[in-house]
Order: sequence, then C-alpha cells, then structure tokens
Amino acid sequence: MNDKYRERMHKYGRIFIVLGLMVIFLAPVSMWAITGVGPNGGRLFTGVLVLSLVFLPGGLIEMMTYSPILGTSATYLAFITGNLINLKVPCVMNATEICKTKINTPENEVVGTISVAFSSITTVVIMSLGVLLLIPLRPILNSEILAPAFNWVISALFGALGYKYFKNNLKMAIVPMIFIIVLSIFIPEFVNGNVSILIPIMAVLTVGISKLMYDKKLI
Amino acid sequence: MILAVTNIDAVREAWWLYAIGAFVTLFIICGSLFFAYEAYKQSKALGMPKEQVKKAMISSISFTILPSIGIFIGVITMSGLLGIALPWIRLSVLGALHYELLAVNNAAEGITATSMTVQDFVTIAFTMTIAIIWGSLFTLFFFKSYQKKVVDKAITKKERSFGPLLFQSVFIGLVATYFGDAFSRMFGYNVKEIVDGSYTGNVIHMTSFVPLVVFVISFLSMMGFDYLVQNKKMKWLENFQLTFSMLIGMTSAVLLGMGGIY
Repeated sequence: MNDKYRERMHKYGRIFIVLGLMVIFLAPVSMWAITGVGPNGGRLFTGVLVLSLVFLPGGLIEMMTYSPILGTSATYLAFITGNLINLKVPCVMNATEICKTKINTPENEVVGTISVAFSSITTVVIMSLGVLLLIPLRPILNSEILAPAFNWVISALFGALGYKYFKNNLKMAIVPMIFIIVLSIFIPEFVNGNVSILIPIMAVLTVGISKLMYDKKLI
Repeated sequence: MILAVTNIDAVREAWWLYAIGAFVTLFIICGSLFFAYEAYKQSKALGMPKEQVKKAMISSISFTILPSIGIFIGVITMSGLLGIALPWIRLSVLGALHYELLAVNNAAEGITATSMTVQDFVTIAFTMTIAIIWGSLFTLFFFKSYQKKVVDKAITKKERSFGPLLFQSVFIGLVATYFGDAFSRMFGYNVKEIVDGSYTGNVIHMTSFVPLVVFVISFLSMMGFDYLVQNKKMKWLENFQLTFSMLIGMTSAVLLGMGGIY
C-alpha cells in the first residue's frame, strides 16, 4: 500500500517540481517581456557560473542528505518552497520527534508531508501579511531593539532543537562537539563563514563515529 | 505587446510584479494543501490517530512563525535595492536570504539603488532564479532512484540496525555545526557590509558571545519545558515548547542588546 502511495507521490511530486520551476521563472521572464529589456548576457553567465560552483554540488548534497529525513512528497514540496536547512528540515525533525515516528516509514511520510506543507503555508502567509502591512511593520521589524533577536534566530532554533537530540544521543554527540569546539577556537571565521560546507562534513564525521560506536556495541 | 518600461522605479514597484507575487503565494498554498490532503488520506488508510496528524500540523505552524518573520526581515533588507515585490517572490519560492544576497552581489557588483538600470534589475532577477534551481533539478531527475537504490537499502527492518542511528547522526552533525557557528563568533566573524540591500564590498571584523548565550538559553529552556511535558504531564506544551524556547533565547539577545552588548 505504501509503495503505491510513494509511486503516486513521485508522479505528483515531479509534476509539482516542473510547475514550480515554471512559476519561479515567471518573474524574470515577465520583466523581460513587459519592459522589453533582456538581461546582460555576460554578467548573467558569469553570475550563474560563479554561484553554480557552490550551489550545483550543494544542490546534489542537499538532495542526498535531506530527502531521507523529509520523505517522498515532502522532498518535492521542500525543493520548491525553499528555506530547507534553516526551516523545513528542522521543522520535520521537530514534528518527527513530537509524533514519535521513525524515518523512512509510511507514518513518517505522512508526518513529514503535513509538516512541510503547513510550514510552507505559514511562511507564505506571513510574508504576504508582511508585504500588506509593510508600512506599519517596517519600523518595528527594523528597530534596533529587536534586531539582535532576529540576527540570532538560527542559534535559538538549533539551541532548542539540539536539546532533544543531545538528550537521546549524548554519546554520539561528544566527539562532534569536541571537534567543532576545537575548530571554532582555531579557525573561527572558517566555521561561521562556511556553515553550508561544514554541515555535510560534520554529518559524515558524526555518521562515521556513530557507526564505529555501533559496531563496538557502545550505542 | 511590449510596453517598453524603462523607469527602474516603475519596474521595481510594478503592480504586475505584485500580482506575480500573489500568484506564487497561491501556487505554494494550493500545492501544499494538495500534498497535505494526500497525506491525510494516507494517514487514514494507515490507521494513524487523527491526534498525531494534528500534532504534526500545529507543531509545524508554531515552529515556523519566528523563522518566517526572520525571512521577511530579509525582504526588508533587500528592499532598498530591489523594491519589495522581487525579494517577496524570491524568498517565497526556492529562496534563502544568504543566497539571494550573493546572487545580487555577483550579478550587480557595485550597483546601488540610485545607479541601477532596468537591465541590471532584469539581470539580477534571472541570476537569482537560474543558479538556485540545481537542487530541484536533482530532485526531479534523481530522487526517485536514489530513494530506491540507496535510502531503502540503508534502512533495513532488522532488529538491530544502524539505519535509525544514521539519521540521528546527521541531525547531531547539523546541530553541532550550528553550535560551532554560535560558539566561534566569540573568537571572530566577518560581516559583509550591506547598504541599500546589497553588499558594498567592505568587510567588518567582529566578535560576539550573544549567539552562544542565545543557543545555551534556548537549549536550557527546552530542557525546562521538556521536564514540564514529561514529568508534570503538561501535554499541551508539547507543540509549543520549541517556539517558547526560541522566544526566551531571542529575548535574551534583546535584553543583552538593551544593555549595550551585541
């Protein structure tokens, strides 16, 4: 039954991605069509090339790393709605934890999809409300008093989320934490300037250490 | 029909760009509701309790509110250079603030809000859009076979299996990296100066222990809420404990800021 469901979600998901890509291009193509002014070919080529050096391998690594966590339809949804690592992935991690489902099970497919779907809806609703209420909201959101809160929203998110994972897997967390602390002391700018590069490295390191501990029956 | 709009302000704040923004929003809502409905039907077929689906929904909505406000601040950050409509569209669909700023920087180096032309604006919009689609393309073409050939094989249903621990390990690696992000800022970090929504090229070196404080306070708050949920049986807190912990952590940053510590 789950195989049939997954097959169907792959079909719908692929259709959604194709439609999503068309929607993404709607803005720049309309600009070109309406203004009659096309992009500067040279600058466009260079810009896309430079960005793709990072985001092409990044896209592959993201798909390979996060799709098992998200599940079938949630992966298709998340790869169109975006904000993967700072929102969708931790959001699913949280829902999985609260609903006590296990990754790559039919139940987690449901939880992951519900989680990404309502997270995406919440984001676009907040963004639209923000645009509608921009004039009264701008001074509040731009205020110097509130700025530190939103500057460090990611630290708050992963601090809170971290407790759940460290509580249940303390032994697995020791080596990666020591490693990242040492790295932070010696090359701090590299650590905070290359988070998206460090995530897969840290993930592979933690998986390797956990596998070693698992084989030695330490966990 | 080409209207030949050449005034950059008329393009940046054009009604049709806002209409596209509204369409993008509608597309995301409809797509999300479609998949959510399919998942709901599947939950019934699997005999999952309704309560579990409700939990996933409420916890995800409450979880998303604060980071989404952060994302909207990104729209304001970029609005100086690009207006409101384009950043709204870009951050609603397949976007992320650091990426968009990088794209602006690459496509329009040295361009300011006043010197920008319509061609600069169109070039930025195309660059932002094209270079971010790789993840979606990989998902479109390779996800299905990757899931069958790699993921399903990695997660076996044996009594003792490394499968579940594999993904716990990925999460721990992720959390450890963000701990490093917060911790390392005590020793130094570089801030690229942003004026009018784009990088100026100036880099400012800074140090701050505020993110570490925020991380630790959010961690401890979560510990406290978890105690209340598990030991004091305050089950209603379960869906909101993460949001409340984040709020407490973020409030600590505001209080430190009011004391002149940033």
